Amino acid sequence: MAETVSEHSPKVLVVEDEKLIRRFVRTSLEEEGCRVFEAGTSAQGLIESGNQKPDLVILDLGLPDGNGIDFIRDLRGWSDVPILVLSARSHEKDKIQALDAGADDYLTKPFGVGELRARARALLRRQSRGGEAATPVIEFGDVTVDFSRRMVTRNNDPVHLTPIEYQLLCVLIANTGKVMTQRHLLREVWGPSSVESNHYLRVYVGHLRQKLEDDPTQPKYILTETGVGYRFQP
Amino acid sequence: MWILSREQNDWLSSLAGWQRIALAMLVCATTTLIATPLLAYLDLANIVMLFLLTVLLIAVSLGLKPALFAAFVSVGLFDFFFVPPRFSFEVHDGQYLVTFAVMLAVAIITGQLTAGLRRQADESDTEALRTRALYEMARDLSGALMVEQVAEITRSFLRDVLNANATILLPDGTGNLKACAGQDDARLQIEPRFALIAFERGTPVECKQLADSGFALLYLPLKSPMRIRGVIAVGPAVISADGKTAQLLEQRERLETMASLAAIAVERLHYVDVAQSTQVQVVSERLRSSILSALSHDLRTPLTALVGLADSLTVSKPPLGDVALETAVAIREQAERLAGLVGNLLDMARLHAGEVTLQKEWQPIEEVIGSSIKLLGRALAEHPVKVSLAKDFPLVEFDAVLIERVFCNLLENAAKYSPPDTTIEIDVKKRDGFVAVAVSDDGQGFVQAKGTALFKMFVRGNPESSTPGVGLGLAICSAIIEAHAGTISAANRTPGGACVTFTLPLGNPPAIEEEVLPQKMSVNRG
Repeated sequence: MAETVSEHSPKVLVVEDEKLIRRFVRTSLEEEGCRVFEAGTSAQGLIESGNQKPDLVILDLGLPDGNGIDFIRDLRGWSDVPILVLSARSHEKDKIQALDAGADDYLTKPFGVGELRARARALLRRQSRGGEAATPVIEFGDVTVDFSRRMVTRNNDPVHLTPIEYQLLCVLIANTGKVMTQRHLLREVWGPSSVESNHYLRVYVGHLRQKLEDDPTQPKYILTETGVGYRFQP
Repeated sequence: MWILSREQNDWLSSLAGWQRIALAMLVCATTTLIATPLLAYLDLANIVMLFLLTVLLIAVSLGLKPALFAAFVSVGLFDFFFVPPRFSFEVHDGQYLVTFAVMLAVAIITGQLTAGLRRQADESDTEALRTRALYEMARDLSGALMVEQVAEITRSFLRDVLNANATILLPDGTGNLKACAGQDDARLQIEPRFALIAFERGTPVECKQLADSGFALLYLPLKSPMRIRGVIAVGPAVISADGKTAQLLEQRERLETMASLAAIAVERLHYVDVAQSTQVQVVSERLRSSILSALSHDLRTPLTALVGLADSLTVSKPPLGDVALETAVAIREQAERLAGLVGNLLDMARLHAGEVTLQKEWQPIEEVIGSSIKLLGRALAEHPVKVSLAKDFPLVEFDAVLIERVFCNLLENAAKYSPPDTTIEIDVKKRDGFVAVAVSDDGQGFVQAKGTALFKMFVRGNPESSTPGVGLGLAICSAIIEAHAGTISAANRTPGGACVTFTLPLGNPPAIEEEVLPQKMSVNRG
């Protein structure tokens, strides 16, 4: 894994006020072959993201000099760099706000190096793949989704999906690896007037799991982010 | 009243009945004396006018009775001294009889009218005095800071204005009425039964029979806008003739006004108390919540650094030696445990502080089971979890984050206290309007059936157990389930193993409209 750091290595900006947390985030990402820049305040973070044009921003929501949500909104004004948010457990509202403001994923403190690297890798991969044409066929587990023919098969048997189920699956797959808030999914699938009907979303996710997962009570692909939303992870 | 100054008026009104009449006679005699020399210049008709004026003045200043006397005396004097033949009551000209009759009638009528006016003026004067006293009492009451002050102000009003004695009775906590402090000098005796009747029914109770022997005459409820705050017992200040009690009863309306003023003052003081204690509560809540969030931040930040730094040691390049690696792993595990403990403690504090508002939503319960199993990850590596749940189980309303916490704690316990590679079972069933969730394992079970003690803070099944833990997990589960209006209980299974069952109310889940399937989609299904 000891990748050499070069001009082409991805750049990661860590905006976090606690020096020791910055330090281990830096060492673990550098071992992934990233170039890491640090900022201790959100003001400094905004300047650094302008100067360095990072490929990934890791942001602590509890910065001393202001609201992390405002940082995301500011940054989203001129950049669509992936943002990974760090937040404490039991602050689900903050996470939802951050995700709705444009953050891509979150990590709950405390977190291990493995989790951090996996999330960072996934976001960087999404970023680098941004230019490529989307593939018409996606496979996960024993399920194949063929977008060109609007067909879903499991073990080569056709799976019957209703239009809403199909659309929900499409939105989840289109945002692979990304946490989708309930509000976001409802808006995408049911339209802007249904953003409060969370139970619809839950029931339809349940249907998808029944049809696509081996054990719907312990899903492997369509994952629940409790209190926040859902994530598709092939 | 209009002509006499206040002091003169007071002096006149202090005279006894016979003195007034004597005075009236004297005034009539004076008029005669003044009129006698004038007879040379004036007609008799004008002399009559002088007498009429005299009667009028007497009526104004001395009242009705002297005025009536004066009327008759004036007619007599006029006849005797002025009508020819003078110095005799004989009348030669019959016309004078008419003069006498008219004079008498006019004197009586004006006397009566003015005396009536006078009385009314007097009454409205005392009325004004009492109203002002009532107003002053209201003003004093609005400044009162303690119930004792209210009692004192009310009592001094009654003493000064109505010449009455009073005691304020307030309910103590036990349903009895007690005289409020600071009224020890009151010589008024209270019959508690009457006071209680007035308090409970909210109507005044009157008791004339006992009033003469020093008991209170009237028991007035202190009726405030919200409820009855107490009773005020009123009796005459001097126990004497019946006249006093009758006088007091005439003032009943005023007494009731006074009682409602006192009631409003007592109620105001009650709400001042309520507001003060609420404010204290709010301040302490705010303090607690800010301490909590500061603690939560200050504890979590170093723990995050500790877990992360230890974890980065375990994967560092070049790899650590075996011993060092083992140490690094141990540090990470202990730090994670500490983080979990701090999380539990903060959750418990937050739940106890009442800071948690449930974010209840209708959702399938299997979703939160799945996410808890995934969240525990490594801790459940040696324990497969079997979930039994009907396929079309209804939606349940709960706070997903908190119920996930319950599942995590229960599963973690089950994994901790059962041998590796044994299955943990989660069984979800409907039971009497509740959903019952049982989490069971194949471990050694609970040491003894401790009933609800297990769900108290810092209680462990086996206090000396070598398995790590401080006995918070089940306490948090219990607090969360209680907040959801559910129940939680623990039992041992046969042949072995522990089983914790909790219930959540089922309620009426919202309807999900069936999706309308357009025909063209069928193409996509095959």
